[in-house]
Amino acid sequence: MKSKEELLKELSDCVVEMKDNLVGGVAKEYIEAGYPALDGITEGLVDGMQRTADLYEQEEYFIPELLICSDAMYNGLDVLRPHLEKTESREKHKVVIGVVEGDTHDIGKNLVRIMLEAAGYEMHDLGRDVALRSFVDKAKEIKADVIAMSTLMSTTMPGMSQVIEMLIAEGLRDKVKVIVGGAPISPTFAQKIGADGYSATAVEAVKLVNRLMGVESEKIGA
Amino acid sequence: MSAYTPKERLLAVVHKQPVDKPPCICPGGMMNMVFQEIMEKSNYLWPEAHVDPEKMAGLAYALNEAGGFENYGVPFCMTVEAEAMGAKVNMGNLLSEPHVVESPLASSTRVDLLQPLDINSGRVKVVIEAIKLLKAKNTGVPIIGNLTGPVSIAGTLVDMSVLLKEYLKSPAQAEKLMEFIVANLIAFGQAQIEAGADAICISEPSGTGEILGPQRFRAFSVRYVNNVLDALEVPVKIVHICGALKSVYEIIQEFHCDVFSFDSIVPVQVIKQYIPDIIVMGNISTHALGTMSPDKVTSLVKSAMSKGADIIAPACGLSTTTPLINVQTMVAATKEKTTVN
Repeated sequence: MKSKEELLKELSDCVVEMKDNLVGGVAKEYIEAGYPALDGITEGLVDGMQRTADLYEQEEYFIPELLICSDAMYNGLDVLRPHLEKTESREKHKVVIGVVEGDTHDIGKNLVRIMLEAAGYEMHDLGRDVALRSFVDKAKEIKADVIAMSTLMSTTMPGMSQVIEMLIAEGLRDKVKVIVGGAPISPTFAQKIGADGYSATAVEAVKLVNRLMGVESEKIGA
Repeated sequence: MSAYTPKERLLAVVHKQPVDKPPCICPGGMMNMVFQEIMEKSNYLWPEAHVDPEKMAGLAYALNEAGGFENYGVPFCMTVEAEAMGAKVNMGNLLSEPHVVESPLASSTRVDLLQPLDINSGRVKVVIEAIKLLKAKNTGVPIIGNLTGPVSIAGTLVDMSVLLKEYLKSPAQAEKLMEFIVANLIAFGQAQIEAGADAICISEPSGTGEILGPQRFRAFSVRYVNNVLDALEVPVKIVHICGALKSVYEIIQEFHCDVFSFDSIVPVQVIKQYIPDIIVMGNISTHALGTMSPDKVTSLVKSAMSKGADIIAPACGLSTTTPLINVQTMVAATKEKTTVN
């Protein structure tokens, strides 16, 4: 039988090496050997996603790699999550994320969702071309800590500011942090519309949300 | 009086001949050239101007007449080709441009489900008719026809995430989709040239080095953009690539284009070193043009000129909330030392 460390390394490697078809089998083997699911997630799959993010930052990996690595992470999570002890799933910060109305480019948004999910946030993905009202309604419904909005088109940027205005009008602005991103967005724009933060990349977005949530460690963990 | 018509000036720059001032243009297509103020001034409004050749031509004409860019550029979005091949498009409104809301393919392997682009119907025909109308005005202003880049079209015909994964996992199958797109782009490009386009601009917002990485940038973006360019006979061929170019600087010179256009984050003086034989066009911040004062626009234009931009253009088209005065100021600032009224 393989040791726990061996299997954790295999889980991590499956993610980094884009073995999205094999990772489920390894995760099963890990559970059947009686090792704890939580460690398999944090020290296996999420460790792999962290290494993937490093390779992306070093420009060894690009977006196609990142997408397949995250598929591998999700396939592994599908196997491990049902085995988590109830007490192990701590209360998570909740993030509502989506691409604002008028735009359907969602790769960047998907990467941010993946990286935040790997970092332990509870993600509520509204998808793309999202009606501005939906951001506010969803945040209210789930008592979100963060609203994350993205767009790739300069013509849809004003929608972000409208969402913030709606939050103010409903007295919710101080209850939720708002972050924005996307190619035409700049830190100046974020500041101008009264957002709490801007990030240029998905990896930076994790650091940004951690900072806004007062999470000290920058290390990704479930 | 200037010795050059705007068209002569653009051609002279492309032939590397000395000119009185750099052309100040905005190609159209993904790099949309129009905005609310000029729509209301001319009464040619979005979304109608996307589907009516007279309104499309009228809007492009009105902008030049109002002291705007020294070209006509149609269409005003990047969805014409994808729609003609089977994607579902929401036409947007006065302020937001048309965008694809439904991709026809679940995978790039299902090229058989696509319809070939028909130059005699739909918005493809609208664009061609608009070019004919602009040509008939015979004004000395160059007409720029636009094509959306093959990778960007593929990424709307198939969900972009799926496409990128298939580029990595099954590139040979993805190539069939790319070849289909290229053949249809060539047909559309040739029809635009026959209708009177003086230049063709291909924009690749999705087929970038940042997204694909250098190897796939060469294997997909450069290769298929070149396939289209090689088949088109037109005096001016422009390529625009979005985003940072750091990982692909060395590859840009492989494009078979006369003019290269790029984002505002790319320094003019840096890109020039990598493409000494290609005319450099850009790269006035789209955001600045939309939000900042005319004074700031003037200083951005002067700065781009001093850094060696051969053609002055918005870095990535215009937002619909851009004030006309900023576009007029941008054009005026390229007329060095002449007094601005």
